[in-house]
Amino acid sequence: MEPDYLSDPELDARLAALRGASSRLDTPRCVEKELMQAFAARFPPKLPWYRRMNVPEWGAAGVCAAVTALVLASLLAPPLPYTGFASHAPLVRLENGGAFVALDSFERIAQEPDPQLVETELPRTMLATLGLPVAPEQAGEAVRAEMLVAADGELLALRLSAID
Amino acid sequence: MTITPTTTDDDLLRQMRTGRAEAFAALYRRHQGPVYRFALLRCGSGDTAADIVQECFMGLLGGRFAFDPLRGTLQHFLFGVARILILRHEAARRREAPLPEPAEDEDEAAEPVCEAGGPLSRLLADEAAEEVRRALARLAPHYRDAVILYELHDLSYLEIATVCQVDIGTVRSRLARGRAALAKHLRAHAGAA
Repeated sequence: MEPDYLSDPELDARLAALRGASSRLDTPRCVEKELMQAFAARFPPKLPWYRRMNVPEWGAAGVCAAVTALVLASLLAPPLPYTGFASHAPLVRLENGGAFVALDSFERIAQEPDPQLVETELPRTMLATLGLPVAPEQAGEAVRAEMLVAADGELLALRLSAID
Repeated sequence: MTITPTTTDDDLLRQMRTGRAEAFAALYRRHQGPVYRFALLRCGSGDTAADIVQECFMGLLGGRFAFDPLRGTLQHFLFGVARILILRHEAARRREAPLPEPAEDEDEAAEPVCEAGGPLSRLLADEAAEEVRRALARLAPHYRDAVILYELHDLSYLEIATVCQVDIGTVRSRLARGRAALAKHLRAHAGAA
C-alpha cells in the first residue's frame, strides 16, 4: 500500500523547518531603491503653478493682467464732475459785464505769432451756444464782439462787451 | 489619506496610480517577502529571485500586468506573475544551455536548481531546512510550484489552481506527487548519511 504523503508528520516537520528558516529572507534593499527611482521617474514631483510657466507664458499673463487692470480701473473710476461743457467746449471768463471766450487753448493762443483782432457783432442767441446767459427779451439783439483770428484764419478767441 | 497596516491593497493601488510614492512603497514592503521567498525556492538563485520581484513590481507600476481584484488577492496575483516570469527565465536558460541527458525519473528536475554558496544556502543555517531546500530543488518545477505555495505560503488548492492556471484536480495530484518525491529524496539523503 502506498503511504499517504498528504499526512506525513515527518515531512510536515521538515517543511515547517524550511518555512521558519526562509521566513527571514527578504528581497535585497537595492531592489526597493531601484523601484522607487522608477516610480519617481514615472510620477515626477508636481511643481507649484508658478514654476510650471515659462517666460513667454509669464509675459502673456502679464499683458492679460495689465489689460484687465486697465479695464477694471476705467469701469470702477468715479465719473468726472459735470462742467456743463464738453472737454472741447470754449473756456469762458466773465469780466466787467463782458466775457472772454477762449476757443482754443491758452498755449495755442499765446504761441500764435501774428494774431489779428477783428471787430464784429454777433446775435445774442449765439451766446447761449457758448454757455453765456441770454435774457429772453434781448435775444433778438446783437452784441459787439472782438474776434482774435490766427494768421491762417482760425478763430482763437472772442471778447464780448456788455453782454448784460 | 494616511497609510496604515490596515489600508487595503486596492486603496494602496489607487493611491499608487495617482502618483503617491508612499502607497507604492507600502505595497512593495507588504508583498515583496512572500514573492521573493517563492521565487527563491522556486528558481534557487537569489539574484534571479530579486530580478523576478523587481520585474513583478515594475509591471504593476507600469500597468504591464493588469491586476483584477475580482479574480483574487494581489498577493496571489503576484505569485502568478512571478511564476510566469520564472518560466520565461527558465525557457531562456534552456535555449542557451546545451541539451541535457535524459532524466531517469520524470518527477525530478533535469538539473537541481541551486546556487552553490548562494544567499539561500548561507541563510538557511538550519541543517534540516537546508536538507528540505535541497530536496525541493530536485523536484520537477510544476511539483515545486504546488509544494511551495501549499506548504510554505498556505495557499488553498483553489488558489494554487488560479496561480498556476491549472484545474484543482491537477493541483491535488501535483501536490501529492511532489510531497511523495520530496519524502523520497529526504529518505534517500538520510540513508546516505
